[in-house]
Amino acid sequence: MSQIRRALPSLCAAAAFLAAWQIYCAVSGVSPLVLPAPSDVALGLWINRTELALHAGTTLGVALLGFSLSVAFAFLTSVALHFVPLLRRSLFPLLVASQTVPIVALAPLMVLWFGFGLLPKVLLVILVTFFPVLVSLQAGYARLPLAYRDQLVSMGAGRWQVFRRAALPIARPHFFNGLRISATYAIVATIFAEYAGARRGLGIYILTAKNNFRADLVLAAVVLSATLTLLLLGALHLTDRATGRRHRRVADAAG
Amino acid sequence: MLRVDGLTISADRRPLVEGLAFDLAEAAITCIIGPSGCGKTSVLKWIAGVLPPELKATGTARLDGAPLAAPHAALAYQPQQDTLFPWLTIAENACLGLEVAGARRAAARNQVLPLFAPFGLAGHEDSFPDQLSGGMRQRAAFLRTMVQDSRFLLLDEPFSALDAVTRLKMQHWLCTRLTERPRGVLMVTHDLYEATQMADRVVVMSAQSGGIAADIPLTTPRSDRTEASLAKTRALLKSLLLEDPE
Repeated sequence: MSQIRRALPSLCAAAAFLAAWQIYCAVSGVSPLVLPAPSDVALGLWINRTELALHAGTTLGVALLGFSLSVAFAFLTSVALHFVPLLRRSLFPLLVASQTVPIVALAPLMVLWFGFGLLPKVLLVILVTFFPVLVSLQAGYARLPLAYRDQLVSMGAGRWQVFRRAALPIARPHFFNGLRISATYAIVATIFAEYAGARRGLGIYILTAKNNFRADLVLAAVVLSATLTLLLLGALHLTDRATGRRHRRVADAAG
Repeated sequence: MLRVDGLTISADRRPLVEGLAFDLAEAAITCIIGPSGCGKTSVLKWIAGVLPPELKATGTARLDGAPLAAPHAALAYQPQQDTLFPWLTIAENACLGLEVAGARRAAARNQVLPLFAPFGLAGHEDSFPDQLSGGMRQRAAFLRTMVQDSRFLLLDEPFSALDAVTRLKMQHWLCTRLTERPRGVLMVTHDLYEATQMADRVVVMSAQSGGIAADIPLTTPRSDRTEASLAKTRALLKSLLLEDPE
């Protein structure tokens, strides 16, 4: 009940926005080819639901694969950078530089290099999503209170034990924050990759709909993309809640 | 016996502690007091093997005549904060030192659980630290330190975060625990009352010389100590501390 109450303001704002959009389309006489009303988008979504679901399924699959690999890659990199300061000094600037490459420029190149298959899309998702997870993990490790480290070292713990027993639990809330940021990029990055070249997926669907002047279907695909992102965020939230009851106490201690 | 010799600790090449030497007897409480910045905590951290890297130290520590490389199983260190990990239950926290030393989780738990009642923590085995009062948290921290069964305890202002009443109770409680299972204790404190009430010996460190200004044995049994009998020692300690600029 309290969650519904919390979501009420944003639900009301969304409803007001949609109502204003609908009224504007009805009153201004703007062509549905240029700006379809929300009802047109909903109708397009319903009529083409099977095809859209197929494309959305493909996009979600690629995004999940890329995101999972990205999280694994980010975690392993964070551990390596944590334990080898020389690696951190030499590699971190390169990792930062990798984030300055515009995805718009990179997506077509990826297709050119790796074809229309799964690989270029997964690589692009990894490139876009690994950095927030890596940075949040690094920030989390750095929040380890010195007293915790001293306590463990005085007990005879080595670097790995200090990392495993204290740094990792301390970094957990930061890790989930990074995951949330990355999850919001994952679907969009996949769509970008599909936009540059794919056989199936919301990206190629949007491109085709745009070429056919079907703004309603473009927006229907956008609605689906947003829904997929929200689903991903919801799944992360549930995972966090289900696995981290005891770890929610860390935020108080580290803060 | 633990012997520290020629201990010099420097920060930015400026000596904080210089040529410190003292013995630490087993089954006795030795309190270190001194003005802020005299290096009390640094001495404790050096013995425990957790001196921050920005401080440079030279000197030797010997245990029964043999060189001691800290961290060592004979020493258990308790920092100023209780450092109970908030994501672990009290039982898991208490097991930490044993597990780090290589004990299996179940074996460590079996060793720790019987101590919950004497430590006044019965029924709180599966509580989290933030569910306990300040005094209980401190007892849990002591449980974690003492269950390691080391010969010496290195305690850095263990009661400083407690309110006055809880502090008094905890001082009494710790002395009782140490009577049941005697160990050598080196305790840093700012509190003259605490030092004279608990210690068998008070070492006064000087910020000016970086060494020991006075080494005062307290021979009266703790149970016989009264305000009147301690007044002279407290006055002496107070004058030593006031003479030494920070």
